[in-house]
Formats: sequence, C-alpha cells, structure tokens
Amino acid sequence: MTGADGTERSSPIIEAVGVSKSFGAVRALSEASFGAGAGEVHGLVGENGAGKSTLIKILSGVLRPDSGEIRVEGQRVELSSPQAAQALGIRTVFQELTLLPWMTVAENLLIRREPKGFGPLLRRREMSSRAEEMLASLGIENIDPLELVANLPLDQRQIVEIVRTVTREPKILFLDEPTSSLAMREVEWLFGLLNQMRGEGRCIVFTSHRWREVESVADRITIFRDGRHVETHAEIDEDHAVTLMTGRKVETMYPELPPADDEEVALEVRNLGGGSLSDISFSLHKGEILGVGGLEGQGQRDLFLALFGAGEKSEGDILIDGKPARIRNPNDAIRAKLGIALVPEDRKSEGLLLPMSVRDNLTLPVMKLFSAGGVIRSRREMRLVQQMVERLQIRLRGSEQAVATLSGGNQQKVLVGRWLLADSRILLLYDVTRGVDVATKHDIYELMLALISEGRSILFYSSDTEEVAHLSHRVLVMREGRINAELKGSEIDAESIVTAALREEDVPA
Amino acid sequence: MSGQRNGRLSSLPALRRLTPDRRRTLYAFAAAVLLFLIGALVRPGFIEPSSVKSILVVASFVGFVATGQAFVILIGGIDLSVPWVLNASAILLVTSSLGQDDRAAEAVLLCLGLGLLTGLVNGLGIVFLSVPAVVMTLGMNGIMQGLTLGLSKGFTCHACSSSSPAVVRDAITNNLLGVPADLYVWLGVVLLVTFALGFTTFGRRVYAVGNNERASYLAGVNVRLTTVVLYMLSGLFAAFTGIALVGYGGSPSLGIGDPYLFQSIAAVVIGGMSILGGRGSYLGVVAGSITLVALVSVLQAMNMPDYGRSIVYGVVVLLILLLYGREEREV
Repeated sequence: MTGADGTERSSPIIEAVGVSKSFGAVRALSEASFGAGAGEVHGLVGENGAGKSTLIKILSGVLRPDSGEIRVEGQRVELSSPQAAQALGIRTVFQELTLLPWMTVAENLLIRREPKGFGPLLRRREMSSRAEEMLASLGIENIDPLELVANLPLDQRQIVEIVRTVTREPKILFLDEPTSSLAMREVEWLFGLLNQMRGEGRCIVFTSHRWREVESVADRITIFRDGRHVETHAEIDEDHAVTLMTGRKVETMYPELPPADDEEVALEVRNLGGGSLSDISFSLHKGEILGVGGLEGQGQRDLFLALFGAGEKSEGDILIDGKPARIRNPNDAIRAKLGIALVPEDRKSEGLLLPMSVRDNLTLPVMKLFSAGGVIRSRREMRLVQQMVERLQIRLRGSEQAVATLSGGNQQKVLVGRWLLADSRILLLYDVTRGVDVATKHDIYELMLALISEGRSILFYSSDTEEVAHLSHRVLVMREGRINAELKGSEIDAESIVTAALREEDVPA
Repeated sequence: MSGQRNGRLSSLPALRRLTPDRRRTLYAFAAAVLLFLIGALVRPGFIEPSSVKSILVVASFVGFVATGQAFVILIGGIDLSVPWVLNASAILLVTSSLGQDDRAAEAVLLCLGLGLLTGLVNGLGIVFLSVPAVVMTLGMNGIMQGLTLGLSKGFTCHACSSSSPAVVRDAITNNLLGVPADLYVWLGVVLLVTFALGFTTFGRRVYAVGNNERASYLAGVNVRLTTVVLYMLSGLFAAFTGIALVGYGGSPSLGIGDPYLFQSIAAVVIGGMSILGGRGSYLGVVAGSITLVALVSVLQAMNMPDYGRSIVYGVVVLLILLLYGREEREV
C-alpha cells in the first residue's frame, strides 16, 4: 500500500487487504486496508468504534476476519489463533490488560519462559532477579518484581504489560491505547522505547486518542473512520486529521464557558473526612461547574464516592439546598433534595449493565416514574426513553439494543441520561471523558454547558488537567486527601493547577 | 458433532433474529418435544395423554424447586440447601397436621414459614457475613438435615408413616377438567414468575444485580435487600415442593429431597440461564424441568438398568451444556 504522502517506503511487513468484520448486525470493519513497514512507528487514529481495536485484534490472531487477506512480509497468511500470529513475530499490548492479577510481577513477566531447575521445578530466586534485570534494562526501577499485580496502580500494570510484550522480541508490535493510563513521564519513557525499537528495524503500530502524542512519535499516521481506512499521511495537522476522523469540521476544542452568576448554594460540604479524606470544605453553586484537580490519586475518587454515599464511613456534614442531608448510600443521594448523581470513572464496571438494553440502563434508578405497585408501564417507560435518546442524540438501532454494542461516547450519554431522567440537580462527573474520542468529548462539553444553563450544578474531575482548566468556574486542587488550593476566574489554567497540586504547604482558600 | 448441527441451526435466518435467551428457551422446548417423540418410538403408549400428564406432574416438582434456584442463580448465587429444606418441610407438614384437615392450613403456613426462614438466614449470612453462597447454603443443608433426622428420630422415622391431610392431597392430585390440579398450580407459578421477572421493577432489579452488582448499587438498587429476598424465595419454593410431594405421594420419607439439588440446577442451566447470573429466561427453566423428567422417563421406557440411566442422564446433561458453551463463543 502506498501512502498518500507519496514517500518511498519499502514494502510493508504487515498488511491487511480489504478486511471486513461484523459482530451480529454491527459492521466493525468494511473493506479496510492497512499496512506498516519495518523500522516504522505507525500511528492509527480514529473515533471510538472506527474499527482500530478490531483491526488490531484481527492482525493479532484474536479475531478472524469475515473476508479479506492478511499478508506478512508479502506472504498471505492465516492468523487462526494468537499463537499463529506470535509464531510470525507479532506481539500485542491489548487495550484490556491481560496480566494475571494474583501473581507477582516476575511471574507475569516470565510466564511460559520461566527459568527451570530440576524437571518442571521453577527457580524462584532466579525468577525475581531475571525480572528485575528485565525491568532495569528498560529503565524501570520503581516496580518490585515480587509485588502482586493486583496491588499495582493502573499505570504500573500497563508498564508491566508493555515490558512483558516488548521483551518477547517482536518483529511487529501492536499497542492499543497504551498511553491512556500513563502519566506524562511514563509516556515519554514509552516513546523513548519505541524510538529505540524503530532503530532496531522493528515495526510498531499504536493507537491513541491524544493527538499530540501520535504526532510526536509516529512516522506515518493512518486515519480510520466507520470501519474504513480513510488516509495515510506522513505529515498532517490536527485540524485536518480531526476533520478526516469525524467527517465534519470541529471548531474550537473547548466551548466558551458562560459566567456563573448564581450565588445560591446547591451543595455545601463542611469538614468532610474519613478514608483518605480529611477536612474538606467547599460549596457548589447552582449553575456552576466546580472543577476538581490535582495529581491522580489524591483522594478525588473518595471525595466523589463519599458525596454519593458510596464511600467509606465519613465524618463531617453535607448540606443540600441549605439543609443538612443524611447520605448513607447511593439511594439516599439519588432521592435527596435536588438529587445527587454520580457518573463513575469506569463506565464498564461501575456504570453500565453491559448485556442489558439501553432502555434498562437508562431507567434503572427511576423506575418509580413509570411503575405502579412495582408493575412497569411499558408504554410510559418507552416514552421517557425515547425522549432521552432524542435529547442526547444517542445513536442506536433500537432501545432494546444491548448497551455493550454502543460506542464509548454513546454509552457515556446513556449514563448521563439516566440522571437527567432522575432530574438530579447535582451531578458528580468523574473522569467522564477518559478514553472517549474527540467528537464525543465535544458533545459531552456541550452537554455540560446545557446542564448548567438549566441551573444544575456539576462537580467535575478529569485526569486531563487542560480539560478541568477550560471547563471550570472554580477549581479545587486536591493533595493527599485535602484541598490544597482553590483557583478562580483568570487564575485558572493548567499550569497553575499543576503548580498548586505540587505545593507542599496548605494554602488557605 | 452436535455442536456442528447447532452451528448450522443458529445460522438459519429465523433463529438468528431471536435473542440468544429466546433461542435457548426454544432449544430447551425443542429438546423436550424430541424426547417425547423418541419415547413414542420406544414405547407406543408414551405420548398418550395419561402418560404425558404423569410426566408433567413429576416435572412440576422439579419446576418448583428450579424456580427458587433460578432466582438465586440469576444473581450469580446458588442454593445448595434445597434438598433438606424440602425434606424438613415435607416432614413438618405431616407431624404438625397429624393428617387432619382442620390443621392443614396452619401446617402449610408453618412449612412455608420454615422455608422463608431458612432462606432469610442464608441471605443474611451471604450479605452481612460475606459467606460465599456455596458454603452458606451447604452449611444450611447440613443443619436442616441434622434437625430433621434428630427430631424425626432418624431411620425409625415414625412421622414418615403418618400421611398428608386430605385437602393437601386433593389439591395436588384431584383432576380438574381431566388435568391434575398440581399442573394448574404449576401454571399459576409459571405465569406469576414470568410476570414478576419480565414486567415488574423487582424483575428488572434482579437482572441488574445479576449483571453487575457494583453498577446496580451505584444506580441506587438495594443490592442487599434484593439478595436476601431472592434466597427467601428459594427457601419458599423448596418448602412448597416438600408440601406438594407429600400431597402427591401421601407420606414423606427421609432423603425425599436429595435428587432435587442436581435436577434444579440442571433444569436452570438446560433452560439457558447463565450460571454466572444476569442472563436467561424463566420459561427456559420450565422447559428444562420437562426435558429432564422426560429424559428419565424415556430411559425407563427403554428398560435401561439403574446404573445405565445414571450414566446416560449425566452424559446428556453435559452434552447440552457443551452445546451452549459453543454458542456463547459464536455470539
């Protein structure tokens, strides 16, 4: 395949030609083609549901295409299993981690290549030293090879996963969203590694939603949309790429935030503590977006869970609309005055009932609205569901469709829609844009603005500090379970948030 | 081989259109019909109305226990206490009523109360003490066995020679329009449970909890309450089956509940419910109960010796599970 860039390249080492794949009625890939060469870092970009992960799974032997051809070094091959792909030197870091949580880092790294002693017996001491060497050779020192994987934070697990794959001498390496859970320094580490591997003549294909990353490391970039290959370029600017990815033009990334002038307090928190939190006080106004910033893991998650009644036992007071509220469980929060809602971090494990229908997912907390004596009035329910689907422009075939088959952005809309049906006035949005594509992010921003224009209040945490900076009227910066600083108006930008997050001493707000 | 046939079956467009749940329910019913046809080939009288009716009556007992079992399996649990809860209820019925009609109502309520109580204890242990369901309900089975054997004086079981009140017997065995009353009871249960699972907020919550406990909790569902209620229902249905069996057989015996543990779980799984919870339809469980009992009857009709029946029975159940396993991967 020749790229639209016109540069001369040696023939691709791995190639997909006219590959199609459907899941039931959903067409994930249609006649898609793709190729990458040796000594190349190739970025694969596109919205959620564009078919990137499906393509990678097919080229790794996990899925079999319905039609089309796969070629490795010019030879047509059948990748009937992951083993078949591995035999050809193809290694993959999948989006879903594949480590064994209850085994140690060393056991995971050395799985199926353990140092053997007598017969089938393992040499345990040698295992840990081998694992340590392996990590050190890639410049990683802060991971203990004897630690259980389950005890590692997400970013370190991702690193172990990458190390395990990279040390298996890939000829062709696929990385599906390797950076989504990595911090900036770790991303730099990974890209250093990729550059080194490129120098060794290996072929690397990776996907990412962060454009700057792709641009900085990729030699060529391939854009996918709706299961098809759109274009491949060596040089392309972000605007053009976004246009190609979405098929339409996206104006500015962040929408203009209207001023919050309502002084009325919706939610007030006094001296909230317990778990990892201590002495947290703040108030959230009506029609306001209150950002929560700080480094990852500084108690933000516990704060959100505590406000929703799903955290550890906590001390301190929560006042809703000026009156003390007792919130012992999520049900209390949902039914409290004004109504509190949480859109949690991991929509797949904490938010959605994946095999169940869009309808079931939308109405689970609000079944009282359309039932009498516990009996569901289907027609009334369908009307509510219909309205919400239209209002949020959730793209689906029918309300009976399993929510698992929707794209990530549409799944997120279902989770927000659920709380609009409940008419929650206080929305706790926890990292709702993680792993969501550009166009859907934009939709979510617009939705947030629409929500505050109705007088709702939003407490907003994001692992993307830029996002917090652009979308918040005020920002609470957390550090070690406390509020380290409060930023307002023109003080707010990504830099000042990070600065405040790193500051040691307590700064009274 | 059977796997391949299944592959071809589900590629028929009409079957493709059905949801996997409905497709499996259909398979379970098809299996039941097939078994009746095989039975007819083996022994011509097999599908005469009287024979079919008696098979269905036996199937109803499996169906009752499996109803309770289905409730807890739907949330990823299991109830291993059904054999001796059933047995205890059967014996409690005759000892408390002494076979007298005027004591029958209280005796029946007492038995059902016993079932609810054991289920309550099961549920509380699982929810508040975090005892795994397998351990909790197995322990409960042992406790009920001990209590039953102890209080009935074990193998000299005098109580076992007393008989069921006539009204209970009539309610199960009398014919109404040529159909045993027991089958009307079953029909009632089937309609009620189908309605409860499909058209009420309760049913919606059951499937939600079965699919994702954490997400259900964060959507405001009272997961603990739901869990406890479902174990209580399982106990209730086990106790109810004990009553029905005494009514059917006239008097209880020790060990009467033993076959129902495997059968109730097998009926649920053959009916297409996921043992991991959250998926499957209750009608499939009904079909599963009929299939199991029809299979036993066919083997009996073939004059197969006891040991052979056990083997074939086991192999067929495993084959069916294998078939579903294959389909799961296809979807």
